[in-house]
Amino acid sequence: MELQKKIEILSAAAKYDVSCSSSGSSRKNKPGGVGNGHLSGICHSWSEDGRCISLLKILLTNDCIYNCAYCVNRSTNDIPRTALTPDEVADLTINFYRRNYIEGLFLSSAVYKTPDYTMELILGVIKKLREEYRFNGYIHVKAIPGADMKLISAAGAYADRMSVNIELPSSQGLRLLAPQKNKESIIKPMGLIRSGIQAKREERKLFRGAGSFVPAGQSTQLIVGATPDHDLNILKLSEGLYHRFNLKRVYYSAYVPVTTGPNLPAIVKPPLLREHRLYQADWLLRFYGFKADELLNDAHSDFDTELDPKSDWALRNLHLFPVEINRVDYSLLLRIPGVGVRSAQKIVAARRIGPLSYDNLKKMGIVLKRARYFITCQGKYYGEKSMNEHIVRYGLISGKPEIQDSTPQWEQISIFPLLPQLPPPEVRLATLTGEL
Amino acid sequence: MIYLYDGSFEGLLTAIFEAYYRKENPEKILRNKALQQTLFEEYIHIPTDEIKADKVYDSIRSKISHQALQHAYYTYLSDFEDAGTWIYRYLQLGWKMGHKVDYHLADDRVLTVHNTSRKVFGESHLLLGLVRFKKLSSDLFYAPIEPAHNIVSLIAPHFSSRLADQNWIIHDVKRNMAALYNKVEWVITELDANPNLTVDEEEQAYQGLWKQYFESIAIRSRVNPDLQKRHMPRRYWKYLTEKQML
Repeated sequence: MELQKKIEILSAAAKYDVSCSSSGSSRKNKPGGVGNGHLSGICHSWSEDGRCISLLKILLTNDCIYNCAYCVNRSTNDIPRTALTPDEVADLTINFYRRNYIEGLFLSSAVYKTPDYTMELILGVIKKLREEYRFNGYIHVKAIPGADMKLISAAGAYADRMSVNIELPSSQGLRLLAPQKNKESIIKPMGLIRSGIQAKREERKLFRGAGSFVPAGQSTQLIVGATPDHDLNILKLSEGLYHRFNLKRVYYSAYVPVTTGPNLPAIVKPPLLREHRLYQADWLLRFYGFKADELLNDAHSDFDTELDPKSDWALRNLHLFPVEINRVDYSLLLRIPGVGVRSAQKIVAARRIGPLSYDNLKKMGIVLKRARYFITCQGKYYGEKSMNEHIVRYGLISGKPEIQDSTPQWEQISIFPLLPQLPPPEVRLATLTGEL
Repeated sequence: MIYLYDGSFEGLLTAIFEAYYRKENPEKILRNKALQQTLFEEYIHIPTDEIKADKVYDSIRSKISHQALQHAYYTYLSDFEDAGTWIYRYLQLGWKMGHKVDYHLADDRVLTVHNTSRKVFGESHLLLGLVRFKKLSSDLFYAPIEPAHNIVSLIAPHFSSRLADQNWIIHDVKRNMAALYNKVEWVITELDANPNLTVDEEEQAYQGLWKQYFESIAIRSRVNPDLQKRHMPRRYWKYLTEKQML
């Protein structure tokens, strides 16, 4: 098969893996080598769907022994199957890299023959890239669930980031849609990578030339909307993963129906808003000091579609607000809806010089559309008349103050009922012919 | 009173030096090319003086902060007409306030410089990704760009450590300048637009493969051109391989 065709098939099959970041690794270039890591990551392009393209994201093969119901590559799906050779992958990566198309390689694969065999293939490719092609750019590889631990650790020595996709947020979901996989086979490699990273960190303290092991950490992906799990379960799972496995990122992927099946939900559009809300909440967990329990609870187990999770939390905790912008400490500053990390840092820096007024905040570029309902500036409140939950909620959603009783008192009358009704055609015909 | 400098950063620092020692407090500091002079203004040409410039440079670093120096330099690179004036006002405040000048976030003088320097930094980061090299037949990788700000010198170090084993040129077509790298070091030189180029024979093939990849990595049911344009504004598409017609 032609290379062009292979890329078409194998990158289209890899596109549902949403992870794209190239951050977290500052791998240095070596003399005679090509490439290095950039700590903050670099996006090289944005595809038609608006997602960033940073890595050459491709499957080694799409020929799979598994038959997961949600997956485009499942064994019973009638699609063309193909595979790339290690040299093809390496050559493509290097040549794309030299033209600055990409930041590195994201190599994944369908499970071909056995998990061990597949992992060995992947390991072969990245070893070749690092050693023969002297490539020092970013490499993200999948740890194949069920593969031998030795193979996974060996891959970790060459990769910058590794990931194991959980895909389905609950064991029930897994049983229903991916009966050949189980929770243990997914969790085990995660634990291994985590301890590998920790061990290497200790080792490097003693001896700088200890080499690296997955320096950019590990990530995973959860599909949203393929199973009936609530946002609360998903967020709790992510929180657990961040704490237990020190994951760098959990990616959420709105379920895109690539196939139909008896166990799959029939949806027309992927639940993009739900995915967005989960990402917002994920950021709140990682950078804003929130806990999953604060954002959602059993009585309120899904996110509000109209409000972002932080505004939603603030509305349920109105007793904490308004806060005085000139005095409140950083951790609570971060909890004001509309105030992000950058804004909070700006406020903390600027108020060391003198008290901040509402206009000062505006000038500094702090977004006050939502924040104004929750703050006072030098004692003055800039929201509506009172801090009633109903009023604030309305203001947050519509962006303007509420008009009392917004349901219209009038009704638009259609013109058609006023017209005389035409007699049906057979009656008209009857009047013409006289046969009444 | 308006000071004019030759357009170099040293020139701007010399102008700031003179403004201080002549106690003149000029209304504006502008670069002297492409300037429409008005009748009622007094124009003073400031010749660039390395020693004076060095003094100002050191003074910014020691009396204000390294941060402030970076903000000033990035603002200078923005190529905005008023950049010189903004930097002057910002540094004036800086010498009064010391390193705390960067906390005065609600002050217009600080705000303009911070915002401008962030724009320049932002564009330079974006371009790290959007630069597209073409392999030429002479074993040279060539990338034309047309950035809004003068950021070639900011992105060149990144490529010199990354693509250390290949010859490359990053050509700012708009400003007729380029960063040249010869596997050892990089330099900035003048380079006229449209040099005659013959691309390497394998170049077309890789461009084709990249376009194919770009095409098939998008998820059809999530197409969102607005989001794409927000991240990657139209003005950069001119030199993007994947945005050229096949």
